[in-house]
Amino acid sequence: MKIEVFAILKEYFDKEFEIKDQLKTVEELRAHLEFLNPASSDVLKICRFAVHDEFVADHYPLTGSDNVVVIPPSSGG
Amino acid sequence: MDYITSKDLELVALLQQSHHPAAGAVVLFSGDVRNNNVGKMVDFLEYEAHTSMASKMIESILNDARKRWNLNIAVAQHRTGKVRITESAVVVITASAHRAEAYAANRYIIDRIKHEAPIWKCEFFTDGTKEWGGNCNCHKDTGNINKHIYEFEDIL
Repeated sequence: MKIEVFAILKEYFDKEFEIKDQLKTVEELRAHLEFLNPASSDVLKICRFAVHDEFVADHYPLTGSDNVVVIPPSSGG
Repeated sequence: MDYITSKDLELVALLQQSHHPAAGAVVLFSGDVRNNNVGKMVDFLEYEAHTSMASKMIESILNDARKRWNLNIAVAQHRTGKVRITESAVVVITASAHRAEAYAANRYIIDRIKHEAPIWKCEFFTDGTKEWGGNCNCHKDTGNINKHIYEFEDIL
């Protein structure tokens, strides 16, 4: 699956990258990202995830063809 | 109109377009970039957005506000890219029959954009450091990253 990250997450990951591991849910993806870069753990815990421009919950089932966006807490305005 | 833009926000032009024959009140809020934050001098800000999601979200927030306060006009635009001191990073304009609704709706819209829309600022300080910051920390009080504490709730 393809992953895209924003804002502070770019300090821990490439802006866009691919994960080949079979991850079944958003929860598993979050854990995998924490494994890839343990320093990102505190930020990832408060991030939301989105697929097809819609926020998805931790139990959302992922497929290998999904494009997943990782959304840190907002800081607009 | 684009809800997210990398161009300068045209406040005067937007205000000129926000008069309505049934509206006796027009409120414009501009979120300007200031030269200081948490005791440090700010050089400039850079904003980043997930454009499609942020646009949909702003549209939905504006529609909620239109219905809730029976607004004649509801407009919002947020900048991306480099925004300098005194420039406007976000603008919200509301117009309604009377001022109470225009003020309340305006606070509601900017509060929800700040807490919910996938837009982020990176602060560049005059000492050469930078920091992704000023983010919504509501989860520390609500225990839920999807639950926020809004300023507009104080005045409703």
